[in-house]
Amino acid sequence: MSDASRPTAAPQAIVVVERVYRAPVEDLWALWTTKAGFESWWGPEGFRVEVHALEARADGVLEYDMIADAPEAIAAMKSMNQPLSHNTHGWFAEFRPYARLTLVHLIDFVPGSGPYESLIEVDFQARDDQTRMVVTLHPHLDPHWTRMSVEGFNSQIKKLDRRYGQPER
Amino acid sequence: MHINAFEMLADPTRRLIVEALRDGERPVNDIVRRAGIHQSGVSRHLRLLHDAGFVSIRPEGRRRVYALQPEPFRELEAWIAGYRRLWEARLDRFGAALEERRNDGAAAKEEPGQ
Repeated sequence: MSDASRPTAAPQAIVVVERVYRAPVEDLWALWTTKAGFESWWGPEGFRVEVHALEARADGVLEYDMIADAPEAIAAMKSMNQPLSHNTHGWFAEFRPYARLTLVHLIDFVPGSGPYESLIEVDFQARDDQTRMVVTLHPHLDPHWTRMSVEGFNSQIKKLDRRYGQPER
Repeated sequence: MHINAFEMLADPTRRLIVEALRDGERPVNDIVRRAGIHQSGVSRHLRLLHDAGFVSIRPEGRRRVYALQPEPFRELEAWIAGYRRLWEARLDRFGAALEERRNDGAAAKEEPGQ
């Protein structure tokens, strides 16, 4: 039995997001593991990414700036007293080409919260001319980050919903 | 609030208690029987669940009856839904980038994994 007086060290919340893309697994893999690929999609709408280092191997470094560049994103960050650019450090803890990678981010820029690691697991399964990608997320439960993530970017999400509609399944 | 809610349910004993209360309100001895845990442990966890708003207490004669409260569960659900929407949007961008990459023939110019 656990000790009720001791806070649980690792509250578990896992979110799994899955997509099937009509593209070869090599293309999907490149979007995670090349500078141009990563910069082409990472981050929320209204932000751009500048990759400074990406070592495509196990334990390889990933370092980039996430920069608010759309007016809505800039306004959202300012309203939350956040800087417009975050330098972000991470690494590929697992790197099995075209099959699986795990990406760890060191989150050390959240005010009022000590540094912590954020893990993203990505599995790829190629089948015919399609590739299934399963992203397993372990969201951090810091209330500040939650508020910033969920409330701050809601308007951007709605725009994306309108733009892309239903995802291909 | 959110971290408290997740921490509450991260504990396996408290999850057993929540399971025991899913079908409706129950007195503590009933929870003990259903959860298979010693009463002192159940009482301690019930107090924590009550303090966090997960459980209400209603006196019924000489005993107290415990019931789940929906609000924290709704908050958890909303939190997860919001987080999932963020990632659904991010994978929309991934799909759009994939499409652009294929249209531009970028795959031919760039060796994957390099």
